[in-house]
Amino acid sequence: MNEHATTETPVARLQESIQQHSRYSLGRSWADLSPRDRFNAVALAVRDEMVDRMLETERRYSGAHSKRLYYVSIEFLIGQSLGNNLHNLQLRDACRQALLNLGSNLEDIEEIEPDAALGNGGLGRLAACFLDSLATLGLPGFGYGINYEYGLFKQEIDDGYQREKPDNWLAQPSPWEITRPEEACLVPVYGHIEHSVDRFGAYNPMWMDWRVLIGVPHDMLIPGYGGRTVNVLRLYSARSSRDFDMGIFNDGDYFKAVQQKIASETISKVLYPSDAIVAGQELRLVQEYFLVACTLRDVIRRFEANHPDYSTFASSVAIHLNDTHPALMVAELMRILVDEKNLEWDEAWRITQSTLAYTNHTLLPEALEKWPVPMFEHVLPRHLQIIYEINRRFLEQVSAAGPGNIGLVQSVSLIEESSPKHVRMANLAMVGSHSVNGVAEIHSNLVKTALAPDFHRLFPERFNNKTNGITQRRWLLNANPGLANLIRDAIGDAWITDLDRLRDLDRFAGDPAFRASFRNVKHSNKERFAAIIRATARVKADPASLFDIHAKRIHAYKRQLLNLMHVIHEYLSLVEDGRTPAAPRTYIFAGKAAPGYWVAKQIVKAIHNIGRVINSDARARDWMKVAFVPDYRVSLAEKMLPAADLSEQVSTAGMEASGTGNMKFALNGALTVGTLDGANIEIRDEVGPENIFIFGLKANEVREIRQSRSYRPWEYCDSDPRVRRVVETFHTNRFCPDEPELFTWVHRRVLDVNDEFLHLADLAPFLDIQDQIAQAFTDPDHWTRMAILNVARIGKFSSDRSIREYAEDIWRIEPA
Amino acid sequence: MDITVDHIDGVTVATVPVDELDASNSNEFKRDIAPVLQANAKLVLDLSRLRFVDSSGLGAMLSCLRQLTAKGGDLKLCSMSQQVRSLFELVRMHRIFDIHGTREEAMAAFHAGH
Repeated sequence: MNEHATTETPVARLQESIQQHSRYSLGRSWADLSPRDRFNAVALAVRDEMVDRMLETERRYSGAHSKRLYYVSIEFLIGQSLGNNLHNLQLRDACRQALLNLGSNLEDIEEIEPDAALGNGGLGRLAACFLDSLATLGLPGFGYGINYEYGLFKQEIDDGYQREKPDNWLAQPSPWEITRPEEACLVPVYGHIEHSVDRFGAYNPMWMDWRVLIGVPHDMLIPGYGGRTVNVLRLYSARSSRDFDMGIFNDGDYFKAVQQKIASETISKVLYPSDAIVAGQELRLVQEYFLVACTLRDVIRRFEANHPDYSTFASSVAIHLNDTHPALMVAELMRILVDEKNLEWDEAWRITQSTLAYTNHTLLPEALEKWPVPMFEHVLPRHLQIIYEINRRFLEQVSAAGPGNIGLVQSVSLIEESSPKHVRMANLAMVGSHSVNGVAEIHSNLVKTALAPDFHRLFPERFNNKTNGITQRRWLLNANPGLANLIRDAIGDAWITDLDRLRDLDRFAGDPAFRASFRNVKHSNKERFAAIIRATARVKADPASLFDIHAKRIHAYKRQLLNLMHVIHEYLSLVEDGRTPAAPRTYIFAGKAAPGYWVAKQIVKAIHNIGRVINSDARARDWMKVAFVPDYRVSLAEKMLPAADLSEQVSTAGMEASGTGNMKFALNGALTVGTLDGANIEIRDEVGPENIFIFGLKANEVREIRQSRSYRPWEYCDSDPRVRRVVETFHTNRFCPDEPELFTWVHRRVLDVNDEFLHLADLAPFLDIQDQIAQAFTDPDHWTRMAILNVARIGKFSSDRSIREYAEDIWRIEPA
Repeated sequence: MDITVDHIDGVTVATVPVDELDASNSNEFKRDIAPVLQANAKLVLDLSRLRFVDSSGLGAMLSCLRQLTAKGGDLKLCSMSQQVRSLFELVRMHRIFDIHGTREEAMAAFHAGH
């Protein structure tokens, strides 16, 4: 525990520490610091509070000989840390007072912190929530990732078009990171295999002519709630093995020498701006191997410090693969055990399988990683050999179990027999792990029945479900202090570490005074967010209107287009039919489009153009506003979610693995309109079907339509004039008078029998349910009751519950 | 490269005199060790100064081994730092070379006929 704790009050301690860091870390008095350096001084003081606790935590884990979990993820979407760390250390009030004593305001300083945007979306944010829960539950779990110099791009809007700007978040070093150059590791890549024999005459493939990268770790401390446990997220930067390759330099080619150094350091330079489609990019493959190799080098170093041999490896170490990006771990662990530690293949394989576990995050075929064999061999020649050997032995077993079943062998092989051949990373992960889980009930079932049915038949015991979760510390306590305080006043604060306790709010749903307070909190959150909309989207939103929010990555399957068609329908009903909506509504969109994803970027443009027409039409002024809030990121989400009345979760059924935005919105008292997809299904089961708006095709119906090729989109136009009118709008220049035919692609796409997202099949039910929603909003008491019940019944979706399940069923780790 | 060469009890011990053996100096090492390889069959390379070796450096040592074994001799390595040892293991070269903790152990292995 902090050694100062007994001698000073937390306020005095923090105030002194902040001033010390101002003077001796940053070289100025507090009064002379820039706003950014004021944040740095406060962050350094808070970091000091965590260091002692981290060392104490490590002593506890070592003393208990705890089994350790290493959670490996190519993304950790941390966002800002100051507010969350202060909440978890329970030092927020003390820090606020310390800053007041120095003449500053905590909230102003929190605003200065740049987001650590080391992730694209759900997968990376899940990893960050999991770290918070691991520490809160006192579990020995450590994150391993890449210290990208450039996080996810910043989104700017120019005439309705998305423009990407680099996010050089490390241009100024992060005060949260502790660099550990003494624990740097060497990572060889490229080269070729020379087939030789060793001193005893056995076959010995030697890896020759490799290039070496250096992985330098940077530690971010992760405090659990209460501050007893502080775990570590270790992020690696790539460095060149030396300043220049002096051999090239001496040959007179200065620029080539510089280029080689730059090429080495490029490995950790930039986060790939898509969580799905990156296959075929050699740098990404090197990036993935860099993460795997650095992680495993560190895991081995820690293990060998306390263990004489590898017989206890799997009972001392659990390694989790967050999607296939770290699936090379299978080959790397085998390589280390067989090549470096001289274990027999079968023993190494038993250890590897017992140690590794894999989470699948997507059913989208294009998002399943595959690497061309020639590229793979060029980058990782020894690993390709090992994968071939794993595959040979595995297919022997498969063939023995079902002789003559060529289709089965082809389907489960780690190598796709295409031209060129490809290494299938999901197959590698499934073969090399003892556990394969999906992230929501429906998704886990689809993994078993649609994605990997042959693997499920071969190893049914490996497949399981772990429904995603979110940390209530960040997404309620930190993001929505008004609601957190209201709940605390009503039922206490046990929910901060046990979200199921929110059930106690059930009885307040019928309490008029509580409902009024709940509405007041929501209204003030909407006022706060309306100011942000005004400042960033230049749209004046009325906080009394229904805030209808669709915030997530822009992607065809997430169907922002469907939502947009509802917006157009409402507008046309108003201006052409004279039908006023039941309630005024502000349609709010946010999300980034992958820079190379044309359709997604066109959707961003469409939202802007449609918004421009509606927002400038006097007939719609009192009823409709459309706003696209740029640069969606964690810190913006923290202000947006508490302001939502309605949460749009309208993906085509069977395509969203889980979603976590759906959980965050509900936790903040928004009602969901959604399809029966991902975790929406479980949210409905928890909050009750009467407190959620469900519409559209079910996953099995979607599958049936696709399989039977029976989709006839124009029939929906023929049978429903509302649908026809909306669709025809895209054939006109109504929303693109200055750029004729800009949106005719939408018309073609939604009328195409091959529209795999089945927009028109779901449009009429969507319009119908939106009518019900508008009607429901006109009854504030009933709406508020439903919103309170959503909050009260969302406890299942705490990441604490997810992590407990992972810890007990997969990792077998315990609190120390 | 100023390679120190000692002859002890019929075994030649050459000390690699650099911290890093890589693309910048591996050719120089090969040039300067060549006369030692020509004049001797049993050679111990003392790597106690070495802190980093890249694939060029490992290739140079492999070339030494091949020249000696081609004429019926042998090469033994000794006094490696942990980091250098790790690199040998990474690329399976520890199975090619006879590696010893100290030069005395390496010489003793020659005397024992291993």
